[in-house]
Amino acid sequence: MANEAELLTRLSAELAARAGALQGAAIAIRISSQRHLSGTLWQPDVAVASEQSLPARAEFELVMPGGSAAPAKLVGRDPGTNLAVLRLARPAAPSALVPGEAQAGALALALGADGSGGASVRLGAVNLAGPQWQSRAGGLLERRIVLDLRLERAEEGGPVFTAAGALLGMSTFGPRARVLVIPWATLERIVPVLLKDGHVARGWLGVALHPVALPDALREQAGQSSGLMVMSLVEGGPAAKAGVVAGDIVLSVNDAPAVGFRRLAGELAPERIGRKAALRVVRSGTVLSLDALIEARPAA
Amino acid sequence: MSAASDLRLAHGLRVLVHAVDPARRDALLALVRDWGHQSVDALGAADVVLCDGDGPGNPNRPVLALGGLDTDQAGWLPRDAPAVQIHAALGALAAGLTVRSQSDPDLGFGAMPEHSLQGLLTPREMEVLDAVGDGLTNKMIARRLDISLHTVKFHVESLFRKLGVRTRTEALAKAHERLRNILEL
Repeated sequence: MANEAELLTRLSAELAARAGALQGAAIAIRISSQRHLSGTLWQPDVAVASEQSLPARAEFELVMPGGSAAPAKLVGRDPGTNLAVLRLARPAAPSALVPGEAQAGALALALGADGSGGASVRLGAVNLAGPQWQSRAGGLLERRIVLDLRLERAEEGGPVFTAAGALLGMSTFGPRARVLVIPWATLERIVPVLLKDGHVARGWLGVALHPVALPDALREQAGQSSGLMVMSLVEGGPAAKAGVVAGDIVLSVNDAPAVGFRRLAGELAPERIGRKAALRVVRSGTVLSLDALIEARPAA
Repeated sequence: MSAASDLRLAHGLRVLVHAVDPARRDALLALVRDWGHQSVDALGAADVVLCDGDGPGNPNRPVLALGGLDTDQAGWLPRDAPAVQIHAALGALAAGLTVRSQSDPDLGFGAMPEHSLQGLLTPREMEVLDAVGDGLTNKMIARRLDISLHTVKFHVESLFRKLGVRTRTEALAKAHERLRNILEL
């Protein structure tokens, strides 16, 4: 019995010590007098935050571990991977970050900033450590990491560590307030691009699409039972210039059938910018071929 | 409003509308009045606060927030929630309930959706649904789309089956949810 009690006490003390040693990586980003978000100090002068929650502003005030205020400029944002990058005016004390591997069932520590220089800590299990996935905004994430814990809104964007203190990535909210981790490998790939260019290039057609069933009369001619209907077009965008109009049903892009979004998004990878997209569309009962030139998605 | 008569929910609530954007404020005020409520300017006189995005502090009244970061309010719906949902939510909040939409909130970094091919609507069914949304009767829909009443009934039945609903109001709410399944490429 004495040993068991000791084990628990030791576990608790180890966790607290670990959290204490790591809290230098969690910073607060003020978004109003009462509200703040958390961020992860990625390099001594670079912080990352959750793009979806960061207001559209050029400058922010950060609260560093310990409570000192530090001005920072927004350098770039990428909705595709939900990352925003801020550059600090003065480099902070470097925190030594080592990459960690997510393993389902392992413990994870999610840190947030309390807004006045301290850190808040959440403990949970890695609920899911899956393969790479594609976000709704068209970004690629190296791993799908879901945590079995909940976060307050102000804690989003903070660092998530393994029990050994290695960085899994940055916390963020998925649908229904599930807590996801933007993995280390994604940060490592995207942050340098944002520091250099301020955005991440993506192929773009300038259309909003919605899945529809094809009327029976068209199924045979089209060779498929569904397509993606053009709900709206960006004026002067690649699809509009190619002659696509609202109401057209896209059947395929470069021979990739438009039955699902993911397959189609794959046709718009960054290296396709400047190349042709051969579109097959249905308009008033007939199948047409239109050629669009894939452009880079304009910055939001 | 034809849709309003479908819903026997509280009417004549006193609603304080808070919106920074004047156009948005006008739209919400019009919505509140169209659905038989009264808009008030003083918090003390309000039963419910209808707030576009994040509102001012804690008003000591149930708040229906449309979008915004503060999902801890008693009522929270996406920014583009349809009028029928806003009306239903106001009634529920005044009765002391908590309101959340069944569809995913705007917040949340999600995976690219993949739809099942089952239950997809045809373009014609979408046109019929649009007309239902405009409050048209089957007869009026037949006239608008220049098809027979029989065909309209056929499409409406097929719509209800595909959406898994029994009433027009339900169909509109469900269809609105589905319209989130739009991808910009």
